This record gives sequence, C-alpha cells and structure tokens, in this order.
Amino acid sequence: MRAVTLYAVVDVDKCKGCTRCERVCPVLAIKVENKKAVVDPENCLGCANCEQRCPEMAITMAHLEQSRVVQESLAGVDMAAVNDLCRKAHLHPKQIICYCTATRAGEVAAAVLKGAKSPEEISRRTGVRTGCKVECIQPVLRLLHAAGIAPERPAGGYQWYGLTPTVWDIPEEVKKKYAQRGFYFDEDRKLLDSLVETGERREINVARTD
Amino acid sequence: MLRAPIKPLPPRRSQYGVAPELVRKRAAELPDMVSVLVRDLFPDAAPVIYPGENGLEVIREATRKQMEKVDLSMIKPGDPVNVLGSHHGFTLLGGAPYAEMLRTIRDVVRERTGCTDIRLRVGVGLRFRESEEYIKAFGLDEYYEGKAAGVAPVDEGVAIETEIGTLYGIKKIYDARWIIHAHNSDVREVHFHRQVDRAVKPFGMSYARIETRSTYHQNLGPRAANFVARAIFDSPFVQEKFACAVFLMMSPSGVVGVDADNDLYALNDRVTYLGCRDYGKMMTLLGEIDEAITILDFPSPVPYVFAAGVIFANFAGANRDLFDLDDPLPPYTWYTEAFYGEDGRPLIEGVPPVNPAIKVVIHNYAWGGYPSAFFTEHIPTIVVGREQAELLDRDPQNLSYTKHTLLAEDLDTAVRFAKQVAGTDKILAFDGASGALNVSRSLGEYLLQKAPLVSRRVDGELLPKWLKQRGIDPSRIKIC
Ligand code: SF4
Ligand code: SF4
Repeated sequence: MRAVTLYAVVDVDKCKGCTRCERVCPVLAIKVENKKAVVDPENCLGCANCEQRCPEMAITMAHLEQSRVVQESLAGVDMAAVNDLCRKAHLHPKQIICYCTATRAGEVAAAVLKGAKSPEEISRRTGVRTGCKVECIQPVLRLLHAAGIAPERPAGGYQWYGLTPTVWDIPEEVKKKYAQRGFYFDEDRKLLDSLVETGERREINVARTD
Repeated sequence: MLRAPIKPLPPRRSQYGVAPELVRKRAAELPDMVSVLVRDLFPDAAPVIYPGENGLEVIREATRKQMEKVDLSMIKPGDPVNVLGSHHGFTLLGGAPYAEMLRTIRDVVRERTGCTDIRLRVGVGLRFRESEEYIKAFGLDEYYEGKAAGVAPVDEGVAIETEIGTLYGIKKIYDARWIIHAHNSDVREVHFHRQVDRAVKPFGMSYARIETRSTYHQNLGPRAANFVARAIFDSPFVQEKFACAVFLMMSPSGVVGVDADNDLYALNDRVTYLGCRDYGKMMTLLGEIDEAITILDFPSPVPYVFAAGVIFANFAGANRDLFDLDDPLPPYTWYTEAFYGEDGRPLIEGVPPVNPAIKVVIHNYAWGGYPSAFFTEHIPTIVVGREQAELLDRDPQNLSYTKHTLLAEDLDTAVRFAKQVAGTDKILAFDGASGALNVSRSLGEYLLQKAPLVSRRVDGELLPKWLKQRGIDPSRIKIC
C-alpha cells in the first residue's frame, strides 16, 4: 500500500527544460512542455525522483492537503490466476517485492491480470517503484514476462532498461567455475524454490478445505 | 579498562537527516556511559594509521606509496580517466580520510601519466544526492577542477554483456577510457554480501543501474547475490577500461592502511581475509550480548549507523554467524524481509528472528533514505523528537516507519522508559566513536569479560572455516 502525502512542484524560473525529470519519473507524471516541466498532480505519487535528479534544483516536494492511498484491490480477481502468475515468475503471492510500500507479489499479479501492461501502469495502480525507486523493478518485469507481456520502454526514458538474469538462469559452467569462491547458486535456488512451493502447498490445502 | 566516553561523530547537515542543532543530546552524554577501546577488547587488533598524530598526511603518504607499485602506463596523456568513488567511504571516520585518498589518487595519476582529464564519479545508495553533499563538503569539485559528480542508479544506463546475461551500469561511471576503482575495505553490509567478493561489490551496486541492484536483491538469493558484481567486473566492457583499484583499508579501530593493485582479485583476497579476521571478532563479540538497549546516534540511515566499525543491521543479525556461508539466511536481509507474511509470521520455516538481545531501539539520531520499517516492526523503537518523526513520515522510503514507534520528547525520557520496559541497564550506542564502543558501564564490563574467549574462538575455529568457505588460503595472503 502506498500512502501519497507529497507532490512535486516545479519552480519554472529555475527549470531549464532539460527533461531529466521526465526521464526518471516512474509513473510518467511530469512532462516538459514549452521548455518547462509540468507536473500532473493527479498522477504524481510523490516519490521525489524528479526532485532528487533535477540538476537545477528546480523541484520541491509539497504536502498534499488530502493524502490518498494507492493499492490494487484483490476483490473479484481470480486468485488461482494470481497464484499461477506468481508461480511462473518464481514468486510466492504473499512475499514482499517492494520494501518501501510492503507490496506483495500477489497484488502486482492482480494489477497485471486487471490489465496493467507496463511497469508504469503497475506503479500507478500499486505504488511499487515509488519509494526507493531502485529495488523492485525486476519482480515487476518478471511478473509481466510471466504473463507474456513485453512492455515497451518509455521513449527516451531512463525508467528501466530490461529483464536481467535470475538464479534459475545461471549456466552450469558458471556455477562450476565459482563453486569454490563462496557463491551458493543451487542452494539459494533451493531456498527460493521452497518459498514458492510453500505458496503452492497453501493453495492445495485451501482448495481441499473449500 | 573502562574509559571516559569517546566523542561521537558529530551530526552532519544533510537533507536526509534532521538539522544538527536538533540533535540536543548524544548517547555518550548519558550518565554512566563509558568507552571500551577495540584494542582493550582485542589486544592483537591491527595498528591504525588514522586517526593519529600526523592526521591526514599519513593517508596521503600511504596512498602515494601504494600507488607506486601500480602500473599506470596504459593511461596516455590525452585519455579521460574516471576515478570511481562511493558515498560509503565518506561515512568512515567523518569522511576526511577517504576524501584525502581521492585527492591523492588524482595527483598521482596526473603526475605519472600527464593526463589532465581526470574526473571523479561518486555513486550512491538510496539517497541520490548524498554524494553531491560530500563532494561539496570536502571541496572535491574544486580539487577535480569542476569534474566531480554524484551519480545515481536512476541515471542514464549502459547495457553490459556478462557471462550470465545482460546487466546494466550507470553510463557516467563508464564514460571514460579508463576507470580507477577507489573504494574501502569496511565490511559494512555483511548481511548482504556475506564477505564474498567484498572488493568487487560496487560494480554491482554504487556503479550499477536499478536493474542490476534489483537483480542482486530479488533475483539471485542471499548467498549468490553478489555474483552480479563479479559478472559485471569480468565483462569485456569493464575489463577494457579497468586500470587499477585503490582501497582505504579499514578495521574496527580505524584506518589500517591503503592498498592498491592492478589485480582486483588479489586485492579482494586481502580484503576478504582482513575483513573476516578483524570485523569477525567484533561481530562475534556483539553476538554474545544477551540484552541491550540500542541507541542509534549517527549521521546515516537506520541500518548504517556505526559502532566500532559494525553497523546496526549487523547487530540486528548478530544472533547468527553472518560470515558462516552454511547459514543461508541472515535475520535481516531484503530476502528475509520478503519472507514475512502479512500476519508478521515467516512464510517458510527456518527464517531466523531478529536478534532478540535488542530489547529496545532508541532512534536518537539517524537518517531516512533507506526502507527501514522492518526494524520498527520487529523491535520496539522510540523516536526522539517530533522533528525527526516528521522527517521520517515525509520520506517515501519510510512512510510506515513511525507506525510502530513511540515518540519521546528527549533522549533522557526515552532511556528512562526503555530501561523500565526492557529491565536492563545495558546500553550500546551506535554513534561512530572512533576505535571504541560507547556503552553503559554494565555492558562495558560484560564485553571485556567475553572478549578473550571470542578472540580465541574466532582465531581457532571460525576464521579458518570462513576463509575455507571463500576459497582463501591464509598462508598465501601477503598483506601490503
Ligand atoms: S529536471 Fe529540472 S531543469 Fe530539467 S526539465 Fe525537469 S524541472 Fe526542469
Ligand atoms: S518523479 Fe515522483 S515526485 Fe516527480 S512527478 Fe513523478 S511521481 Fe511525482
């Protein structure tokens, strides 16, 4: 759950129209128009990425008069499909994937099943990627990939570049090469698999008692 | 051997913490606080070169001396060179020794190669302007003739092909013909990197884009995570640019030297060995503490406040041996955090609890800018001062931090209450006191009594195991 309490405000006298803010906004809520940045306050989630990267210090964060909450509702969502999507992405539906908002994989899966087709749309619906703006991009991309969606990067943006390898993709020769150097690929894979399997067992048990 | 409290590191003016004037009292000023020196706990601790009588001059000398053995002949006068730094170095002993090392590197490169296009690029953690603050505070932009810049993981990226697939670095880190990796050997996040490839880590972190950092913390697992750093460093793209590494060598007592090498893996083996040896003892000792009120009192985010070279995140996991790679999951890592369900209970068996010896945390002075709600969810926490609570409430990374905390008007009130509810008078301050732990008298006596046993156990049993797990043969390590 993401509580939105702040929004970005541009000082147009300082803004030089460099577009850096536009390129880093995780929800595309700031745009340069006529050489000045303009914030869409309805969509700004107050993450401060633009404020932190503006080279002219032209952005400040202001308090929203009325804070709001961003969260994807699981009501009416096919939970079997949520669980299935998480499993395909090697995630447990209840595991946290965004440490700033404590958003769990199942909520992001629900957003995908309800039509989100890009990390930007997922962030608008769930608030993920708007806390530290760093750590949760991969599980988001993994869930989209598991749903067969290949999102398009925002044109010219630095928001995200692409999927990266997981422990399930490490080639055997790499594992062998570094086995004596303290990298425990197979053991870690087992640990992460055990988490996913626990999720599966839970579903079976729930189904049996239904 | 209990001494008067050592002066803690002063608060630092930063957009990530409250103003220094709002830090009205430090833990070291509480009644009954004492200092235990690292060398009183472990008489065999390596001697330090800083802090010392000759101040920063020794850092300059050591950097010059170590760089003499490094080949810089590949750098031609017209080549651009990026000296790569990290915010982390500036959190060590106030940052001055690291800044001095960075200045000296520039001077040596210029003198030896005739190169004039020498830039400083400093990476960050999750506070994207932190390095800019340090560059300004230490006058590094002037020193680098207007060519110093902080870089962040959301800045423009560059794809790097590695032996496990495509990973991403920050373009500005690599926009020169040559790079010099200027880091430090402080163990710091042993819960994340497990002292595996410690010296290589910035290639997967401070120098990396969000995709790579997310790979580290979400895609690989708690003991395979740091492989992203090795994968990037070994890539042809980085190898083609890598000139050498220069490291500020740290121990819980302070700076023990500078090390430099054209071979990062040779330096890495020395860093691994010294880190296990020197920090291993201090962390094992902290793991012996049976109960304590912990005071955060340092200019860094919650997990990164320091006590004798050890960060709070490591104390939160000190009920387990964080160096032991047979133990899969530390009590605190982001993988661990992910494994807790909505009801606050672990989703799988075998998730170790947060160190139960930490009875209460008093957040007297620590920054935001790092997702820290996990700590307040697991440990009773008192925040000192309304301004500090408000700062955390505004922080997009800590929107629920104060949901689980109490608020105290001042430090004395917080300590009185903590002692009452915790039923202990043992206090441990994470306040950056140099070469020492600032503790209550009761805890000081306890630690002095436990230290000799810990020392023997690490030397005889744990250190050989830790080194074996990492493929390090101590007889082949030559300390420079
Ligand atoms: S980053 Fe700053 S200067 Fe650049 S367009 Fe945005 S507000 Fe203007
Ligand atoms: S970067 Fe963050 S704060 Fe700035 S406009 Fe976008 S959502 Fe709002």
